[in-house]
Amino acid sequence: MKKFAIGCGILAVLLIAVLIVIAIAGGSYNRLVTLQQGVNSQWAQVQNVYQRRADLIPNLVATVAGAANFEKSTLTEITAARASVGQMKIDASHAPTTAAEIAAFEKAQGSLSSALSRLLVVSERYPDLKASANFRDLQAQLEGTENRISVERGNFNTAVQAYNTAIKSFPAVFYAGMFGFVEKPYFAATTGADKPPQVQFDFNKK
Amino acid sequence: MKRFLLAIFCGLFCLPALAAETIPPAPAKYFNDYAGVVSPATTAQLNQRLEQFERDTSSQIVVAVFPKMQSDSSIEDYTVRVAQSWKVGQKDKKNGAVLFVFTQDHKMFLQVGYGLEGALPDAICKRIISDEITPSFKAGNFDAGLTAGVNAILAATKGEYKGTGRTTSDGNLVIIGSDNHQSNHTLGRLNTGNYPEFLPILFIVIFVFIFIMSALFGRSNGRYYGGSGWSSSGSSWSGGGFSSGGGGGGGFSGGGGSFGGGGAGGSW
Repeated sequence: MKKFAIGCGILAVLLIAVLIVIAIAGGSYNRLVTLQQGVNSQWAQVQNVYQRRADLIPNLVATVAGAANFEKSTLTEITAARASVGQMKIDASHAPTTAAEIAAFEKAQGSLSSALSRLLVVSERYPDLKASANFRDLQAQLEGTENRISVERGNFNTAVQAYNTAIKSFPAVFYAGMFGFVEKPYFAATTGADKPPQVQFDFNKK
Repeated sequence: MKRFLLAIFCGLFCLPALAAETIPPAPAKYFNDYAGVVSPATTAQLNQRLEQFERDTSSQIVVAVFPKMQSDSSIEDYTVRVAQSWKVGQKDKKNGAVLFVFTQDHKMFLQVGYGLEGALPDAICKRIISDEITPSFKAGNFDAGLTAGVNAILAATKGEYKGTGRTTSDGNLVIIGSDNHQSNHTLGRLNTGNYPEFLPILFIVIFVFIFIMSALFGRSNGRYYGGSGWSSSGSSWSGGGFSSGGGGGGGFSGGGGSFGGGGAGGSW
């Protein structure tokens, strides 16, 4: 009888140990879910600011097209770039899971960025256009949007870093893959084609 | 390979940015002239108005005049980081804005928190900077330029939020924890962490343990645990207060606002 009690005691201790492990794992699983949702919501924020830029473009094109003899090729280019961004099929609710996905997103947005900066550089040659209040406002909005894009990209990378660190750390590293938590890609450093238009302005002034 | 690239990326971009940049500590007042270009009378008057503005509307508007930018980044990058670290604006409304002026660089930037982007869209910021502030700055009159700038910012943001009659630094002095929503937010953040989630489960484990032990040894000793038994005192968390510096009546204290790069800048 005493032996039975001791056996049961050991069993109970083992059971408790297992329960504690499950509790810790459960806590860290919930934390992974929170971090993953953080990455997704930050990705939505990134898309949001890029969308904001795309929404400004029809207005900008209309304003610029009103200026006398404005170069048609620049306008065509920017309209085409915006259209290609619009066609991009990326799920807004989930952050990209592969580096290729993020690269495709970057490529489409990058062509729009460079078309935009060319348009702003060309518009420097039209003093009447530059002096108009409408164009000045649009320019301020575009600059602000580029700032927002860089801030949200930075925040996205921070969120991805926290998530990637968590899935590679103990104890999540043992089961993260099992539950479908895979490493997420970062935004790469901006390439030459993705410079904000404002920088081009500074070069022009000097 | 991917990790290697990442390491290079961090090495190239993150570290130099950290090394070549100083984020100044959060200011103690609303209007801060670190460059010594504004008269004491104007400084006191603007500071008092901005403080009253937080009482009236809860929006935190801060002006910081520095002699020089302590960073190699562009002004919009640097100032968004500074504004973010100062936590200007209330945490739930994110209604902060900071006007940065760097006198030797001849540059300024108005950083607008998420919650004020509607009242201060980029185009309005640009107009405030180029129409209200720049003309006076060009003439070397910082008093007039900053007064006009503050007037315009306050006029634009006036109707956006309702105030509580208190500032964040008042709130820190009066009560901590009751209706002070910041401390609640701090608690909310704590609760999403790893440790508290694991607590209730630990209680269950202890319950199970006691149940098993009592069933085993209680019976073999010939007695059961009584009805009242064991009661958990519960896991009530009482967090401390939250303060991001400041304190003391009349001072500025950030409410936890955040910034997303809205606003506009200019040079003179």
